[in-house]
Formats: sequence, structure tokens, C-alpha cells
Amino acid sequence: MVYIRHIDSISFQNSFQCSNLWDILHPLDSESTLQNPEYKLHIQPTSLRRLSTILRMGIATAKSCTTDFVFDGISYGTSLGCLTDTEKFLQVVNTVTGDVFSPTAFIQSTHNTIAGQISLELKNHAYNMTHTQNTLSFEVALLDGMLLIQEGKKHVLVGAADEAIPFMERLRPDIITTHLPLTSGATSMALVPESNQASVQIMACQTFHNVDNEQEVLADFLIAQGISATDINLVLVANELETAFVSVNYTTFTGYYQTSSAFAVHLGVDFFAQNAEATYVLIFNNLDRTQLGLTLLKRV
Amino acid sequence: MKIFVTGIGVCSALGLDVESNIHALSNEKTGIRKGTQPFSERFLVGEIPYSNQELCAKFQLDPSLSRTAILGFIAAKEAFRTHSPNTSIRTGIISGTSVGGMDTSEVAYRAFVRGTEENLNQYREHPSGKAAEQIAAHLGIQHYVNTISTACSSAANAIMLGARMIQAGQLDRVLVGGTDALSEFTISGFRSLMIFDEAWCRPFDDSRKGLNLGEGAGFLVLESEASMKLSGSNKLARLSGWCNASDAYHQTASSPDAIGATLSMKGALAIAGINPEEIDYINAHGTATPNNDLSESTGILNVFGTKIPPFSSTKAYTGHTLAASGGIEAVYAVVALRDGYVYPNLNFSNPLSETGLIPQLTFEKGKIMRHILSNSFGFGGNNSTIILSAE
Repeated sequence: MVYIRHIDSISFQNSFQCSNLWDILHPLDSESTLQNPEYKLHIQPTSLRRLSTILRMGIATAKSCTTDFVFDGISYGTSLGCLTDTEKFLQVVNTVTGDVFSPTAFIQSTHNTIAGQISLELKNHAYNMTHTQNTLSFEVALLDGMLLIQEGKKHVLVGAADEAIPFMERLRPDIITTHLPLTSGATSMALVPESNQASVQIMACQTFHNVDNEQEVLADFLIAQGISATDINLVLVANELETAFVSVNYTTFTGYYQTSSAFAVHLGVDFFAQNAEATYVLIFNNLDRTQLGLTLLKRV
Repeated sequence: MKIFVTGIGVCSALGLDVESNIHALSNEKTGIRKGTQPFSERFLVGEIPYSNQELCAKFQLDPSLSRTAILGFIAAKEAFRTHSPNTSIRTGIISGTSVGGMDTSEVAYRAFVRGTEENLNQYREHPSGKAAEQIAAHLGIQHYVNTISTACSSAANAIMLGARMIQAGQLDRVLVGGTDALSEFTISGFRSLMIFDEAWCRPFDDSRKGLNLGEGAGFLVLESEASMKLSGSNKLARLSGWCNASDAYHQTASSPDAIGATLSMKGALAIAGINPEEIDYINAHGTATPNNDLSESTGILNVFGTKIPPFSSTKAYTGHTLAASGGIEAVYAVVALRDGYVYPNLNFSNPLSETGLIPQLTFEKGKIMRHILSNSFGFGGNNSTIILSAE
């Protein structure tokens, strides 16, 4: 069994170390910006200086999930990775003449810089993995984290982060087709195998490819979990889903980044805290409608 | 549960299939030569000597694919050639890559910076997860698709995750490995780090200055016994051990006491349930950077003590193929197990003054091989070891 002991997010909502997301949630508008915490309270100023926003978000949320234990596994997801440093290094490559240039942007451009920096900050020698599968990057990281718990690990850090860069606006509308604002965010969570320190269980997570019928996938998933549609108290969707369920579109609050379903898990966890009668929350990640990530949460 | 290797495929500067790669290795012929691309022509690189157009024509591929995807297709198709989709076999793919379709997107970005005509469609190929989805769709792999990006240990980690998923009963069969194309981005990156040798790279040699970059892909099919009964495939080797550990020392450098490397080698031996003296050959990461080879040698000494098995790096043949290297070298290890090969380490003259370790210097065949250990160490101290076994 896999339980969420702690979860935290940095997003376009004022979500960091917030007691319940549902109290502060508001739909994004054109004025919305990333709500950065005071990073220097969470990251050594000497390293902070060099870190891009995605790295700061990843480290701060990861540290927020750490208390008196040492993680024995880290599994992170990111779709496009450290875009700020990637673009910065592309600029260097294309503009700097001569043979000597700074490696900093290159070093921090690789996808595994986030999980790598987390291990450095936490001085953690455990399993350290970075998954990248477009809009399912969070789910594949979560699946690995759940597998680590199944294998006997006691405290596993799972998280996901993505960052938008202004350059991406140029790719609308043909390459980037969403009408949502392009945003950034990171969510980290501590998974544990025991329910005594947790309020929410992750019942299941599954990814689906080449989907042509969302309803069919959903129906089959629920049958496999042995629950009926009426058992579900809330469905958090990325795009409208024609359904009889009570559904909330989480991208209204996150904007568009590929790993926003991790924030939806955070919403799900906080939903249970506010709704005593709720038993099941389903995250239905259909950000890309041809590949789905379904995550089922249950109150402990 | 036992995990078997039932398919292998590779492409590198040594050739476009397993046979040509092994032929070059056993004849001590390197694939590293002067590059042909505008960004590689000044350097010695392990470049595959065909253009994207030539490769797509030869392998019937869509020419809009990134080169990373093209190379991945070539190796994945070879590994999967005796396999076919089967609804009773839950089949997945886990690929590793460091920069994904950067080889394509950097062309568009260069045009953007220079104000010349930019083909926005080239950005479609950029996401690192793209190639795995394209290969999965082509081969009819539906059950699970994932991409690992942990720099130079990506493919080894993909292999490891595939094995764990089969062991947990989540998959029956999985295509695992990695792919990376040469790009201006990575060549400039490793040059900026000052670990890029403009002469021949010299793994485990005292005079080593840095790596030669390469490109390629290596894939393996892993299966459970139950899946093999259904697919009718033959066992090539057994994947018996794996471990990933974090060095947590520095964003790019490995620790002098080799914490991560030692943990990953010991962890893999523990999973395989064997003692260090049962390892018959180590395919080292051996990038020929001053830091890696010293740290890896220290790790080998930590784990193997005074009884060091034959070891070598094949990076002086292929160049460092980054995320693909763990896949390519796992394929080489499968053949080495089967045919009793030990591959020699090229360009070696003097052992490291700090350790005195001397790698395998001649090609050996007919050796009885029980277990081969293969290391892959990535940026950010991401250390991975896998063990392949004959039985």
C-alpha cells in the first residue's frame, strides 16, 4: 500500500506551505504569475544564486516534504526539463565567438538536474531517477515511486516540475495548441508504506497511450479498481470530460504545464481534509487527449 | 523471478547492427574519426557516417524524425525483430535519452537567433519523451511507454526499471535501452566543461584529458519466463543485477572516494546474489575524463579489492554516446557472455599513477563467462550498475 505523508507545491497559486489549497484557489488570468516563496529560507544562499526557477521550485518543495527521515528513493518527472538554462546555453552556443564559454547553463540544462540538485541539497545517496514522458511525466515518476514502496522502501520522494519560458509563446497556435496561459509549477510528495502518518492512500496510477475513447478507458479503470462511478466524490480533469461525476478542471488553477497533474494530486489530498464525507478522488489527466494518466486517491 | 534478454539491437559509429559492432570491437577498429557536420568537423567524434536522409531511406523511416529518434528506431527494430505484438504479453518500452530531439530543435533555434527562416515544425521533435512514443507506435507497443533522462546513465536506468517492472508483475516483456544523437548543444556543452579531448580519448590512461563524444542507440528486450513461452523467444542472457545510487557530491564531478559508484556496484552484486570474484569482466563507464576514470577505478578497488577482474572501456571505439552508452554496452556484454569475449581497451599506455590499474589490452575469445558487470555513471552523480549473467 502506498500513502502520501506530505505534499507541497509551488505554482501560480499561493500554494507553498499553504494549509489547504481550496481556501486560496482562484482561476488564473492574464496578470497571474508564479508565486515564489522566499527561497533563501529554504535553500543555502550560496547555491541559490546559481539556481534557475525550476530547480528552486523542485528543491524547496522537496525539502518541505522532509522532516525527521532520510528518503530511500527519489523519483522525479519533468516533460521539458530545465528550459531556462537550455535556452540560455543555446544562446551561448549561437552567439559567443571563440572557444571558451561558461558551462553553468549546460550543467543545469539536463532534465536530471532537478533530482540531482535535490540529492545534493539533502546529501542523499539513494536511488535517484528522472522520468520524462510528455504530459505523463508525473505519472511515470509516481509509478516508479509506488514500485519503490512495493519493493520495501520506507520514504520515497516523488515529484514533478516544469517551467515555461517566454520563447514558447512563439509556438502558438500550431505547435502549442492550448488556449491556457503557459505556466510553471512543481509538486513534491513523500510516499510511505504505512497509513499511520498519512491521510491519503494512492490506490492506483495508470498510464494509457493511443487513446481514442476516454470514457471507455475510465470505465475499464474503475472496473479494474473494483469501484463504481458513484463511489467517486470528485474528478479532477485537465480538459473537459463529459461525465456524470462532479468534476473540477484543475488547469483553470494551474495554467498549462505538462506535469500539472501532480498539483491535482495536491488538490485531491486537500479536498479530503475539507470534505469529511469524501472517500475517493480521481485525477484524470487528459491534458493530451491521446494519452491519459489516471490516479485514484482514497481517504485513509 | 528471472529476467531474460531475448533481443538485442545496436547502432553506433562501429556499424548499424550488432554484427558490425562486434566485428569492429573484435578487430580493435575504432569508429572515432573526424566529424562531418558543421559542428563536429573540427573534432574527433564517434559519428554514424550517414545523413538522416540516408538512414531514413535505408530503414524506411519518416525523415521528419529527429536523429535521436532515427538511431533509436534502428536499434529498437533490430532488438525487436524476432518479436511481435501479442495481446497476451503486456509489453512496454523504456528509452533513455539526454537531450532528446535537440539535434533538430537546435537547427530551428539557430535560425531564430540569426534571424533567418525558422522551421517551427522542428520544435515538435524536441521533447525527450517523443522518440519512445514514436518507436512504441511503430512496433505496436501499447502497455507502457516511458523515457528516462539521467544523462549518461539513462539507458542503464531504463534497463533497471524494465527489470523491476517485470519482477513486480507489471509487465511481461519490455524493450529497454537508450538513444542519443550528436548535437551542437552537447559538443559545445562538453567543450565548455573542459573535458572534451581534441585528440583520441584514452580511457584509464594516466595521460587522459577527456572524452570523445559519439552517437548511437542500444536496445534489449527483457522478458519473464512466462512471456518467453508465449513469444517463443530464445534466451540470450539473464539480467541478474542492477542498482542506482546517488553520489551527492557535485553537479558534474564524481566524488574522489567513489561513494556512488561503490554503492551501485555493491548494490547490483547484492541483487544478483553473487560475490565480486564471480564477475568475469567489467565493462567500465571509462569516459577518459580525468575525474571519471579515477573515481571509477577507486570504486572498482573498493568493491573488488586485490582481485580485479579483467576490465575495459569501449568508449575509445564508439565515443561517449551519453544516454545510449548503457544500452550499447549492455548489448556488447550480452555478446561477450555468449561468445566468451573480452574487449580490449584502446589507446592505453600507462596506468593511473593513483591506482596502478591496467585494463584488458588484447582481444580475448573463448573465455568462460558467468557474469559481466557494466557501469554507467551520469552527470549529477547518477551512478548505475547492471549485471548480465550466462545462466
